[in-house]
Parts: sequence; C-alpha cells; structure tokens
Amino acid sequence: MLSIKNLHASVEGKQILNGLSLEIKAGEVHAIMGPNGSGKSTLSQVLAGNEAFEVTEGEVLMDGTNLLDKATEVRAQEGLFLAFQYPVEIPGVSNMQFLHTSVNALRKHRGEPELNAAEFIKLARETSKQVDLDPSFLKRGVNEGFSGGEKKRNEIMQALLLQPRLAILDETDSGLDIDALKVVSDGVNALRSADRAILMITHYQRLLNYIVPDFVHVLSEGKIIKSGGRELALELEERGYGWLGIKDDAETAS
Amino acid sequence: MKSVPMLSSAFLAPAGQSLPQPLLELRQQRGTALVDMPLPTRKTENWKYSSRYLQLTDAIAASLPVSDRIDTPLAKVPGYQVVIRNGVMVPSASTLPAVEGVTISRFADLSDEVASSLAERLDNTLDANAVQLARLNTARFEDGLYIRLAPEAVLDQPLFIIYETDASQSGSAYPRLYVEAGHHSQATIVEEFLSTGSEAALVNAVSEFTLADSAQITNVRLSADGESVQHIGATGARLQGHARFESHCVGFGGPLRRHDLQVRLEKPGAECLLNGAVVTQGRQHYDNHTTIEHIAPHCNSEENYRNIAAGQSHAIFRGRIHIHRDAQKSNGHMNNKNLLLSSGAEIDTKPELEIYADDVKCAHGATIGQLDEESLFYLVARGIPRREAQTLLTMAFINELIQQIPVAAVRDASLPRLNQFIDQTFEEA
Ligand SMILES: Nc1ncnc2c1ncn2[C@@H]1O[C@H](COP(=O)(O)OP(=O)(O)OP(=O)(O)O)[C@@H](O)[C@H]1O
Ligand SMILES: [Mg+2]
Repeated sequence: MLSIKNLHASVEGKQILNGLSLEIKAGEVHAIMGPNGSGKSTLSQVLAGNEAFEVTEGEVLMDGTNLLDKATEVRAQEGLFLAFQYPVEIPGVSNMQFLHTSVNALRKHRGEPELNAAEFIKLARETSKQVDLDPSFLKRGVNEGFSGGEKKRNEIMQALLLQPRLAILDETDSGLDIDALKVVSDGVNALRSADRAILMITHYQRLLNYIVPDFVHVLSEGKIIKSGGRELALELEERGYGWLGIKDDAETAS
Repeated sequence: MKSVPMLSSAFLAPAGQSLPQPLLELRQQRGTALVDMPLPTRKTENWKYSSRYLQLTDAIAASLPVSDRIDTPLAKVPGYQVVIRNGVMVPSASTLPAVEGVTISRFADLSDEVASSLAERLDNTLDANAVQLARLNTARFEDGLYIRLAPEAVLDQPLFIIYETDASQSGSAYPRLYVEAGHHSQATIVEEFLSTGSEAALVNAVSEFTLADSAQITNVRLSADGESVQHIGATGARLQGHARFESHCVGFGGPLRRHDLQVRLEKPGAECLLNGAVVTQGRQHYDNHTTIEHIAPHCNSEENYRNIAAGQSHAIFRGRIHIHRDAQKSNGHMNNKNLLLSSGAEIDTKPELEIYADDVKCAHGATIGQLDEESLFYLVARGIPRREAQTLLTMAFINELIQQIPVAAVRDASLPRLNQFIDQTFEEA
C-alpha cells in the first residue's frame, strides 16, 4: 500500500530525513518509535503534504502511484489520513461545518452522493459517542478550547468518519489518561481491517498493549535504524535507546 | 498655487419633487452654503485615502428620475418594508406597520408644522466639519423617511428599508432617514443599499437617530451597491440616559464606499455597540470612519470592525473614541482586525483615543494578518480543496461579527453572499 524509498526531507534548510525506507502492506499495523527530534512528525507531515517540508530525494508510492506529486487534499481524498500531534484550533469554523465539508469532499471524490445536514448530523453524533465526546463539541469551533485529550479524541473521531485506507497517528496516545487511552485505542482497533493500514508514532509501549502492531521501527536521525516485531517495543522500554548506539537526547544530530 | 477643486454648481440644483415648504427652505439654505464648497483632496486628513476615488462629475450631478416601477423582484422580507427608489419612497412596494405609537411618514406627506420641527433637527446628529458631504444630501434630498416612536412604543418586527438605486442612466440619489425614538421605545431598523444598472451614479445617504432615555435602537446597514455606484453615507446617533444604540454594518466593496458613523453618548448610562465587516476585491475601495463621543460619565462603548481585502483593493478603518473631560467612568473598547488576502491589497487602520477624563477604562487594538498556513494545512489535510478551505477560514474571520447581528434574516442573507464574494477572490488568485 505504501512504499517509502530513500526519503530525504529538509525544513528551513535543515536536513531532517536522511534516507528513510519503509514498506507497509494492507492490513498491517506499524509502530514507529524514536527519540525526540528524530524526524517522526516530519515523516508524517511530508506524507500528508505539508509544503513547509521539502523533499530533496527519494520517492513515496501509495497504491503504486507517486504520492509526492499529489496535492494535500488529493492525498486525503484518496485515503491518507494524518492524526496531528498538535491539532490546530480554528475559532469561527464549527467542528460540525469542518467535518461535514471534509466528509463530503471525500464522498464527492469517490463519486458518492454528498450527505445533507440531517444525514451528517446523525452520523457525527453516533461517531462522537464512539470516542466518548459529547455531541455538543460539534457546535464549538474546531478544537477551540478543547483539552489535550479532547483534541486527540477529535482526531480519532475524524479518522472514524473519513474511514481512511492509511491512517498515520502521530502521538495520538500522548497526554491521554488511562480511560481516554482505552477509548482512542478502541477507535483505532475499529479501523483495523484487511484493506487498511495503520502507522502509529508513539513514545510509549503501553499503547501497543491495546493496539498490537505487526512491526515496530526505530527512527533515529531521520533513518530507520532497527525494525522488529512487537517485542522490540518492550525491549526499548526496558533498555532505552542507548543500546542501539543512540543517545537519548536529540543533541546527537549534527 | 494650484486651485482647490470645488463642488460643481451642477450639484446644487435639486429636482422638482414636491416637499413641504419648511423642508424646501432648509434644502435651499444648505444649497446656498455649499456654493464654492472645496472638495476633499489628499491633504484633507479624513479623506486622504479616498479623495481620488471621489468623482463628482457633472454627468452624475442630476437627480436620478423618480419611478415607482420595480424591475427587480425584491426578496420578501420577514417584517415591515419600505422601498426607497432613487431616494424617493415607493408606497406601492412598502408594507408599513400598524403598531401603536409608531409613525412612519415620507417627507413629502408631512404637514408644514411637523416638517418645520423636523427641519430644525435634521443634521443635528452629525458633525458638519467631519462629514461635509452629508450636507449635500440635505441640499438635495427629494424625499425622506421620518420615523417616530412614541415613548414606550415597541416595533414588534424589524423594519427593512430598501434603498434601490436605478443606475440605468447616470445621476445621483440622496436617500434620507430620520428616526426619533421616544423614551423606552424599541425598534430594529435594517437599511439595505442595492443598485441595478451599470451607469456611473452617486448615492449620498444620510441616516440620523435620536434616542431618548432608555430607548433601544438596532440599526443594521448592508451596503451592496453595484460596481458603477459611488456610495457616500453618514449615520449619526445621539443618545440620552441609558439609551442603547447598536449598529451592525456589512459592506461589500465598490469604486468608492465611504461611511461615517458618529455616535454621541450624551447622558449617563448611554451605551453603543458598533460592529462592522467589510470585504473588498479587485480594485475596490472601502473607507469607514467612526467616532464615538463620550460626553457624559458612566457610558459604555464597544466597537469591532473587521476588513478583508483581496486583489488590489484598499480598505480603511479610522475609529476615534473621544472621552470628554466630564465623562468619568467611561468604558470604551475598540477592536479592529484585518485580513490581507493578497500582496497587492492594502489596509490602513487608525484607531484614535482622545481622553480628557482621568478615571476611564479605554482600550483599543488593531491587527493586520494573513490566513494562517497551519490552519489551512489542517483543513486541506482533511480533503477539503484549498480554495474551499481558504473561503472557510476567511468566513470564520467575519462570521463572529455576522453572528452578532440580531436579525436572523439578515444573517441568512449575508452569509451566502459573503461566501460567494470571498470564494470569488480565491478564484482570481
Ligand atoms: N517547521 C520547522 N522549522 C524548523 N525546524 C523544524 C520544523 N519542524 C521540525 N523541525 C525540526 O526537525 C527536527 C525533527 O522534528 P520532528 O518534529 O519531526 O521530531 P519528532 O521525532 O516528531 O519529535 P517528538 O518526539 O518530539 O515529537 C527537530 O529538530 C525539529 O526542531
Ligand atoms: Mg513529533
């Protein structure tokens, strides 16, 4: 489904990704771990199409076509979803209006009829319950005044509404209490299916107790330096990153 | 020495509508005073950005002809309606309220006695030095609307005044409104400016409000004249004790749009809310000047204006709060936010506080910004096409003010129009 080859990317002249390669097949769940500043969010932003990041080398194919040539909205319409590490607050645009516009943009792309307001409200209410968000959140501005945990649940709610083929979750587990972690994990597990793939970025192996990955990768200085199965996460938790030859702080990059 | 441009004498010949004698005399008097009136130039402080767009050519000096024919079907409004066409009321298209204590008359129908007392008060809400061109309205009006609310009278539904200008030929129109609100009376008055036709035309409109103790007036002003129309408008309000005046202006750009809004808080407890939202694109020009005079102590004013400028357009906001020496315990808040949608657009903002009392709370802020790239990326990353996302964010910028308009029909009519206008600006980009 997703094939990343030798990806190099920079931001403001600073090289962040240095030849990253990764293959993800339909039905798989991958986890990426790695120290602060190693480039995890950069990878997710580059995949989603953030133009602040410049791809200097390498290629990314999604379902066999060149992903990097496509506009951000087209990537999303074709099924790529990024749950942001830091969801943006947009006062003045209601969550309802935002989600409705987004769902219809994807439906339109797939040649499906758009949902009218009543149909959408029904769907949105049901989905908000699935992530334990009160439907009154739909009336508020996008993420406006949401707590950290509410923002993360809102991201998962969007994933559930949009039913992506590839969901990239950038630290969706950070800042969640134990109940919220359960809710978010249930949401992600509900997305798991044979024709979908999930790429989770996380610092904590506890998430992986709820969402069991098929593969775990360690990112350091913009490259995947080790890959393994579920047990790699446990080992990282016990031993830190030092045994892999990385210091635990980002100072090493230079 | 270069000669200062003068108002052409062609502007000083009103057409022959029948008006009560006292109003004819007032008109004559104002006309005489305008002979040799110097026109604003770049050196005129309050016209420095707009004088070059003011084209008072002889071609538009003549009054547009009066007609009670309605070519364009007007949207049915939920409430009472008065249609003013080319400055003259069209009774056949108007639906007046039959509410006790509410008297709505056209100038042409006033008795000499009422007309004479009105003539004494016209222009009294406006500072003639600041709005010289409003005097031209008084020299030229062909009709007008005089609304009297008796003490405690409540107009149960909004009154929509639709000023339609037929610019199928060149000329000018001088719509005039005078509202007298008795103590504890209440009314919502929506003024909507529209035009048809594409010949060069001038609309010079003046609306005045006097509010007795505890009167409450909400005034919505939609400015949506066409591309061939220069619009110069002035609104004045004088408030007695505990009266409240709310003004909500929504403006679409044009070759020249100028609105002066002057509010005087004359007795303790008076308060006003002045909101304005303006959108401009192409080579349009919009210039808003507001003045709030805190004359008495214990008065409150709040003001929020937002401009969105696209293309090569130019939007100007000048907001002045003047706190007089005796106006202790005044509260004044002014906020002006601006959004530049292109590098060719220009926004000038000038908030001014002039404070002569020592115990007051007064604050102002002005910002000029662009669409937030991070927000834009978030929307686009959810599959929303970039142009639609830009429109959403831009609408969000003024939606906050539109939502404060207390007339649902106005909100419902404004939002799609603003949306369409804004969407268009991204098409050109
Ligand atoms: N817009 C930007 N401008 C400048 N530097 C940036 C920008 N975005 C990211 N960086 C830098 O790129 C490096 C990688 O950042 P990135 O956010 O990808 O790390 P991360 O692995 O997600 O870290 P964390 O675990 O803290 O979320 C960091 O040194 C960061 O400061
Ligand atoms: Mg990160």
